[in-house]
Amino acid sequence: MTEEWIREILRVTDIGIFVYFLVLNTSYLVLIVLASQEFVKHLRRAPFAGADDMFRSPLTLPVSVIVPAYNEGTGIIAAVQAITALRYPRFEVVVVDDGSSDDTFELLRDHFDLVAVPRVVPHDVPTRTAILAVYVARGNAENLVVVRKENGGKADALNVGINVARHPLICMVDADSVLDPDALLSVAKPFGDDPLRVAACGGVIRIANGCTVVGGRVVDVRMPRPWLLRIQVVEYLRAFLMGRTGWSRLGGLVVISGAFGIFRRDLVVRIGGLDHDTIGEDAELVVRLHHDLRERGEDYRVVFVAEPVSWSEAPSSLRVLGRQRRRWHRGIAEILSKHRRMIFNPRYGRIGLLALPYYVLFELLAPFVELGALVLLPLGLWIDAIDVDFAWRFALVAYGYGLLVSLTALLIEEVSFHRYPRFSDLCRGVLAAVAENFGYRQILAVFQVSGAWSAWRGRQAVWGTMQRQGFDTADEGETITPGMASAAATGDVAVDALVDPQPAGSQPASSPVASPPVAPPPVAPPSVASQPSADRS
Amino acid sequence: MLVVATITIAVLAAVVAALTVGIVAVRLVRTMQRRRRAALAEGPRRALLAFVADNGEEGADELVAIDNDAWRAAEPAATALLGKVRGEARSALADVFQRRGAALRARRALRDRSPVRRARAAELLGDLKLTEAVPELCDLLEDRQPDVRIVAVRALGRIGDPAAAWRLLASLDRPDPTPSLLVTDAMVQLGTEVEVTLSAALDHPQARVRAVCLDALGLLGATGTVSRVARVLDADPSLDVRVAAALTLGKFGARSGVPPLTDALEDGRPVPLRATAARALGELGAASAVPRLEALLDDGAYRVAHAAAHALRRLGPVGHEALRRAATTGGPAAAHASEALALIAIGAGPADADEQTMAVA
Repeated sequence: MTEEWIREILRVTDIGIFVYFLVLNTSYLVLIVLASQEFVKHLRRAPFAGADDMFRSPLTLPVSVIVPAYNEGTGIIAAVQAITALRYPRFEVVVVDDGSSDDTFELLRDHFDLVAVPRVVPHDVPTRTAILAVYVARGNAENLVVVRKENGGKADALNVGINVARHPLICMVDADSVLDPDALLSVAKPFGDDPLRVAACGGVIRIANGCTVVGGRVVDVRMPRPWLLRIQVVEYLRAFLMGRTGWSRLGGLVVISGAFGIFRRDLVVRIGGLDHDTIGEDAELVVRLHHDLRERGEDYRVVFVAEPVSWSEAPSSLRVLGRQRRRWHRGIAEILSKHRRMIFNPRYGRIGLLALPYYVLFELLAPFVELGALVLLPLGLWIDAIDVDFAWRFALVAYGYGLLVSLTALLIEEVSFHRYPRFSDLCRGVLAAVAENFGYRQILAVFQVSGAWSAWRGRQAVWGTMQRQGFDTADEGETITPGMASAAATGDVAVDALVDPQPAGSQPASSPVASPPVAPPPVAPPSVASQPSADRS
Repeated sequence: MLVVATITIAVLAAVVAALTVGIVAVRLVRTMQRRRRAALAEGPRRALLAFVADNGEEGADELVAIDNDAWRAAEPAATALLGKVRGEARSALADVFQRRGAALRARRALRDRSPVRRARAAELLGDLKLTEAVPELCDLLEDRQPDVRIVAVRALGRIGDPAAAWRLLASLDRPDPTPSLLVTDAMVQLGTEVEVTLSAALDHPQARVRAVCLDALGLLGATGTVSRVARVLDADPSLDVRVAAALTLGKFGARSGVPPLTDALEDGRPVPLRATAARALGELGAASAVPRLEALLDDGAYRVAHAAAHALRRLGPVGHEALRRAATTGGPAAAHASEALALIAIGAGPADADEQTMAVA
């Protein structure tokens, strides 16, 4: 009798898991379809979007670009040069050196002829560490500021940058990001077009590994060689580009990557800046922004622009990838836990009733379900709760649906932006969409579960450092392909996300996608394949 | 159950195969189309560049005679040129567009059901600077689609006909207003002829309209309206409008703007207003305001003290002397003064001190 009961429970559970993955992949598909509508709209309007008018106008809102840097000596000069060369009428760059132990500051000082200025910095948002000195470029004092501070972590560095920022819009950019020349114009444009409502705007992140970078610009887009990176390219397309665009269209965007996002400074100050105690501080900021604006009953928008883009290095070793994904999933768990009162709360509109519940059900829990399926399906087979015919069909449907979602994302990318010009890269993308189902998703699920578990156990989390070679360390004109040579690729990386008590305040490695949370991928139960989350940071 | 699963697998396999073929097909079709378009556009593009380089003196007839397929392929380049060239070359190119019937088609398209076509048409009419289309573009300011309204605002600005001024201002006074900065930009492009309109609209009941008028007056340098703007600074019920008035007086650079700005520094006035007034006094070059600004260096509000320090920095030797005095006093005043003096020492340009005062909306 007991055996019969167990068999029945296992059978029902397996079917439940099967249904879960069908719904999960369907939700990704819906987001992708919504994203495609947004792309059509965006591309049809591009000819009269008015970017040139905005660039020429003396009234275009000035922006403070905040670049937190921790041990970024290898690429900081190229990064700052590239950012200062962005096409935008009025902006300042605020580099915050978060207590680097390498030569980040010395390089900046020598290259930009920095001089110390006894700047009086307001305490608009809280910070935890002291500013050691503020410098400006002798020949460009109004547009380049470098702040040296004690090490305090990424959130603290960003908060210092917010305090130093002089302009009404603040743009957070990772020091290892490579921005398209019009990137700042594009993310700032919604503030000009809908100034009464737009509170924040996120930009898309793509993977720079494999691309050719010259003078801080991606000049040739290519697929990276390692399959681990190719799979991430497909994953980023589906999750960052399609997923976030879809959520933006639904009015439920809760993640703007810290690698490239722009906010109204007054609103960020009003909510107290970034949270020092959350590892996914950038996504947490957006959720808190929603919380505040909904509580006040204000009419607002948090939007996402799909083009142009910010390019970032992705982890090229499984070890680093694991740390990154643990960190991201930990971020999701922390944010959802911190803002649990918003979940299913009609007071918070689509955020409370749709976006956050979705993240609980399909982002936070997905890897748990996937791992559960990895165990329960074989168990079900073993005790005859399900038969073999059901099991292999179950697996094929789940994985097949996941593959379908990925290919749909690739098709839409090909129709809309088609950033990979080589036919061979296109084929590699298709193959990567197939390959990710075999091992990649399952391993990610393990990383993600581990991340969420750490959050729930309350283990102290700290970003680590990620040593990079940088995008353009070569002489001018010489090109390198970022990811391939990066220290990360050789495993020489010290990111440490979740190892217990960490040295205080290490910095977010400006990780490839230095941002947080949300979204885990896939889930592909042994028998149930699923798709990498349609959204993650 | 098994049958359903089997059918589902078959369907999925078919869709996956179709998507794969679709991806490849899209790439092939686009590559072919691009090559065809490039081939078609090659001749017209060369002719266009030669025409523009020649200031439009020769080649107009040839451009008009280009067949429609080839012109369509070259049209994006031609439209881009229209926005980039100036003077006779621009007029000649606009004439070519008109002779090809582009203006007529665009005016018709302003009533198209598709918002994209309406916006595209408005954009082209703005590029052509077609004054005859101003009334229709003004009507487009009430379009149900915000995107279309935005393009209409920009187009009207590019055309520069002052007749559009009131309609542009009116577009701000609706539940879903056109963006203030875009309207300000357009008003400035309409030129000094709209100063009277802007001045009259300072009595408009909608604060957003008044703020836009002030910004535009400042950018136009309408110094004849100083006293009018000063009254707004003193008495307007909206803080945003008063802040805009202070900025405008600073931009005017007129000595008669000093007393109202100095009054705005008084204790008890809102911090954003006092900070902006201090900044405006620096921009205006009001040496007579040095004692008042020097006293503000010790103000409890960071933004006020900071703005005062940078205003003194801009005021030349008299202001610098005041900063040096303050730097020896200790306390917050010394800190702000030291920052400004450090910037003076490295020859930094005039600061946009504390631009956080600028309202995003």
